[in-house]
Amino acid sequence: MVSVITRALCLLGAGTVLGLAVNGVRSDGVRFARFAPPSVCTMTVAAGEAPGPAPVEALAPQDAAGLCGDPSTLIADVRPAADFAEGHVTGAIHLPCTASGAAASAAVDLFAGRRTPVAGPQTLIVYGDGTDDARRVADELRQRVRRRDLRIVVVSGGFGAWSQAGLACSSGPCLHCAAPAAVSASVTGAPAGAP
Amino acid sequence: MIPAAAIALLLRLALGALLIAAGLLKLRDPTAFAAEIANYQLLPGGAALLAATLPSVEVVVGASLIALPRAWRRGAACAALALFVMFTGAVASAYFRRINIDCGCFGTGGGPIGALTLLRNLALLAAAATVLRLDRAPAGERPAPAVSG
Repeated sequence: MVSVITRALCLLGAGTVLGLAVNGVRSDGVRFARFAPPSVCTMTVAAGEAPGPAPVEALAPQDAAGLCGDPSTLIADVRPAADFAEGHVTGAIHLPCTASGAAASAAVDLFAGRRTPVAGPQTLIVYGDGTDDARRVADELRQRVRRRDLRIVVVSGGFGAWSQAGLACSSGPCLHCAAPAAVSASVTGAPAGAP
Repeated sequence: MIPAAAIALLLRLALGALLIAAGLLKLRDPTAFAAEIANYQLLPGGAALLAATLPSVEVVVGASLIALPRAWRRGAACAALALFVMFTGAVASAYFRRINIDCGCFGTGGGPIGALTLLRNLALLAAAATVLRLDRAPAGERPAPAVSG
């Protein structure tokens, strides 16, 4: 058995060395230093009909805020990091277009219900500077998640409209957002409710 | 009844051809294949290295299963088993995380991961294990076990 494993390792090693050599001489070989893993908005999703969520809905900030107290609701902020740091809806996770696919997968794990104390249907609220940037990420995530009972909504008008409406955000109290805030901390590693 | 040697021959030829085909298809566009690997979100930093080496490993192991003498064929079957364990683990991970990505099993556009993909990988894993078990020298040709005392 030892000789079998030794020969297996020899073959795997030979293939690895051959692969590195071939890749090195190819003009279209993969470049280790320059290869950028896919981000949220450049991930490759499988073609064809996937059993994913229903089409993304657009909700007015007041209506979206009505979902805020639901512990099965997750809020995602797609704006740049600097804007997110200046203020965001309490409990929101930061999930910009440029976020790594790993961040998206962590969010997908949340949607699948394995990292939340709440089972069953969940709602994802996505907001950005406006409606379009949020919809782009929301559409990408919709293709990514195989779950029919996940509701995905974008906030019409984005964070500006949310703030103007005087709804809960990081600079104001949001007693009802305690549960989503805890979920946010598990994704971002940031303290719940931190700006 | 089909002799074990015939089953081993058929399985190793089929597995060898499959691995060579899969490796050659992946070699067509290594950068796209690296993106496919990265989509699994299992080895964020190793996607490029795997994309550069995995296709050649598959071709070498596949060719060894078909063309080399028995001792090396068994080594190739062991290597194929290790590869299929890795592939099945990756596919199962994506399937149970319910993420919608292409399998990348035969380069780009290999189709979405589903229960059938998982079953196919388990079947390939079982086939490699069967080759490793059945492709042995006949009893009369094996070295006699050492007798102690």
